[in-house]
Amino acid sequence: MSLETIRVSPGFENYLPQEYYDLVRDSQFTKPRKVSEMGSFKEVIEEHPMCAGCAMTLFIRTMYVALPSVENTVFIGTAGCGRLVLTQGAAPFIYGNYGDTNAVASGLKRGLGIRFQDTPKDVIVAAGDGGLADIGFSMVMHSWFRKEKFTTVMLDNEVYGNTGGQESGMTQKGMVLKMAPNGKKFEKMDMIGLAKTAGVAYIARVVPTNPARVASAIQKAVLIAREIGPTYVQAYTSCNIEYAIPTPKVMDDAREVEKARYGFQEYFTDEAKEYWTRIESEKRQVKGPATEEE
Amino acid sequence: MYLVADVDVDVCSSTNCRLCTQYCPESNTILFDTERKSAYIAVDRCKGCEICVGICDAQAKHHAIKMVWITDLDNPFEIRNHGFKNSIVDLIPKTINGNAAK
Ligand SMILES: Cc1ncc(C[n+]2csc(CCOP(=O)(O)OP(=O)(O)O)c2C)c(N)n1
Ligand code: SF4
Ligand code: SF4
Ligand code: SF4
Repeated sequence: MSLETIRVSPGFENYLPQEYYDLVRDSQFTKPRKVSEMGSFKEVIEEHPMCAGCAMTLFIRTMYVALPSVENTVFIGTAGCGRLVLTQGAAPFIYGNYGDTNAVASGLKRGLGIRFQDTPKDVIVAAGDGGLADIGFSMVMHSWFRKEKFTTVMLDNEVYGNTGGQESGMTQKGMVLKMAPNGKKFEKMDMIGLAKTAGVAYIARVVPTNPARVASAIQKAVLIAREIGPTYVQAYTSCNIEYAIPTPKVMDDAREVEKARYGFQEYFTDEAKEYWTRIESEKRQVKGPATEEE
Repeated sequence: MYLVADVDVDVCSSTNCRLCTQYCPESNTILFDTERKSAYIAVDRCKGCEICVGICDAQAKHHAIKMVWITDLDNPFEIRNHGFKNSIVDLIPKTINGNAAK
């Protein structure tokens, strides 16, 4: 099924770019992959203009590998750095206006549910902290309160990276940035707490120091959103440009921040927990889709 | 001229590690040669960030990756020329003969 989505009629094979040919031959379209296999199969992301050593790029790379069904996934993004790489992956990408992502995703998810009644379509919003916690804030919250069945992934670099270093609601208090020269005056927003209040079915806070854990969180988020309700993954993805982190130190920074204030957290509602326990036990009985174990 | 990552195949293949392949931010860049049992780099995708060096030195503790000037590599692998490969062993003789495709 998966491969059939991208296989090409024989007559056209000679006209395929090498990159596409590789996807048909040996990629996650041909069988599900784990992060431990990275490097041994063709990944779906092509060249893109994200900065060297960007942790957000690493996170998105891992997220793509973790998708339970890449051919049935649609990404919604917006202005901000993440879309520069999200647009270069082999899953459809829709550009929501800055702030509109979760409203667009709500309509899309419902529409896809009507059009494809037998095939679950996974909708994932992946946008920056500015996009989701500032200008898109009300639409994020309302999509959660309405229990829309899609995943929201915050690429939390704690700054407006794409526009040169303004503070966002997710920036730490006191942080001095190029365009916040006096330091931020307010606390970092507690989006995890807000997600809990809104009844989000599955919530995870991750740092890309542990790829298997990132993959596992994404898989839970996507599968729980299919059946139960909204899910939220908040990922610390440092901006090495605006925070002046030398690229060889990006992972050191991630480990330090994780230890100090961004430790792994995961919450399920009762319903989501019950569903996930069932998936896990079914997987043990029959060989279901490859999911990452921690 | 710029720096790219370069894997010492002898050192890497004596481990069974595959750690750096999971930490390079770039996709299809650190690949794993199943015949030589070693990581290798698609230099046309490497952005020179050195994250892999830190992973190999500090986390894997194998010290198999160094940053080198791209012009110092004899026969660098470029994914745009060959596509994705599970092994580049069939491309190696060129290097041994000094037939550098710079
Ligand atoms: C309605 C609207 N207002 C402002 C902008 C300008 N703009 C583009 S990207 C961006 C900031 C992005 O910051 P964030 O969402 O945190 O993502 P990052 O670039 O840090 O990944 C802004 C303000 C826009 N594109 N649309
Ligand atoms: S500006 Fe910052 S967040 Fe954006 S690609 Fe560069 S390092 Fe990454
Ligand atoms: S981290 Fe070092 S030893 Fe491990 S696979 Fe990479 S290059 Fe080889
Ligand atoms: S230097 Fe950076 S981009 Fe190049 S292979 Fe290493 S981690 Fe990847």
